[in-house]
Amino acid sequence: MLIDKGYTKVRPLAGGLDGWIDAGFPVQEVA
Amino acid sequence: MTTLVQYVLHYGIPLIFINVLLEQLGAPVPAVPALIVAGALSRDGKMSSTHILLAPISASLIADYMWFLLGRRYGYRILRTLCRISLSPDSCVRDTEARFERWGLKSLLIAKFIPGFSTVAPPLAGASGRTTIAFLLYDGIGALIWAGAAVAAGRAFHHAIDRLLAALESLGGWALIVVACLLIVIIAVKWAQRIHFIKQLRLARIQPEELKAMFDRGELPVVLDVRSSGARKHNPRSIPTAILWLMDDIDQQLGDLAPHQEVVLYCT
Repeated sequence: MLIDKGYTKVRPLAGGLDGWIDAGFPVQEVA
Repeated sequence: MTTLVQYVLHYGIPLIFINVLLEQLGAPVPAVPALIVAGALSRDGKMSSTHILLAPISASLIADYMWFLLGRRYGYRILRTLCRISLSPDSCVRDTEARFERWGLKSLLIAKFIPGFSTVAPPLAGASGRTTIAFLLYDGIGALIWAGAAVAAGRAFHHAIDRLLAALESLGGWALIVVACLLIVIIAVKWAQRIHFIKQLRLARIQPEELKAMFDRGELPVVLDVRSSGARKHNPRSIPTAILWLMDDIDQQLGDLAPHQEVVLYCT
């Protein structure tokens, strides 16, 4: 959808949020 | 009576059961053609409509309940496993989540008509804490509508299907080989689409380590949390600086985003 609207530098994060957490990187609580 | 029809009449019901069970478990074996053919044969009084309907409904309930229990047990993580099995790359989990959140369990009534959604909806129902009774009720009715529609189509177009079966019969022993080859072609096409889709994703994706390194270097890409509200509720955490993306308010949110800006988005 973003690419269709002209945004060219769009990349999905491999593994999503779970992949980020599994890699041991910090997260914040969603308000 | 010809060999192919005899074969279908003899093994039809168990084959339909196995066919639907495999499809609902996520295997790329379409079940609708078999239901349509069975519907046409029931119109001619060669098969029982009741048995034809009971087979797919029971197979659907067994497969879907298994996914429902896995969804309840493993939550949204099971969806990632499903994506690996599924050969329907056009139906991403994000879309199915949004659809399920919008319609709830009622979405199960039409889920089987939507490629991909059929397999993803039951674990979503489990992950979102729906009750077993309500799930089985909606899922059973959905299976009845889906199988009933296919059987009704077969009954309505039974003349055309009879002609198709007769044409296949004229091939003699080659008929089964032709059917098997068609099935293999369908699976091969879906498999090729999946490989192409995964290659595209691999080319485009950013690894968590790469994103972390960007943060450490002081580069600040726009990070979008595109999870559904249900997934956010299930796991109320996000990557620091991430913007919670609201699909209903997309134009206003895009207004703050420059087109040349590097964007990283993530779901569950």
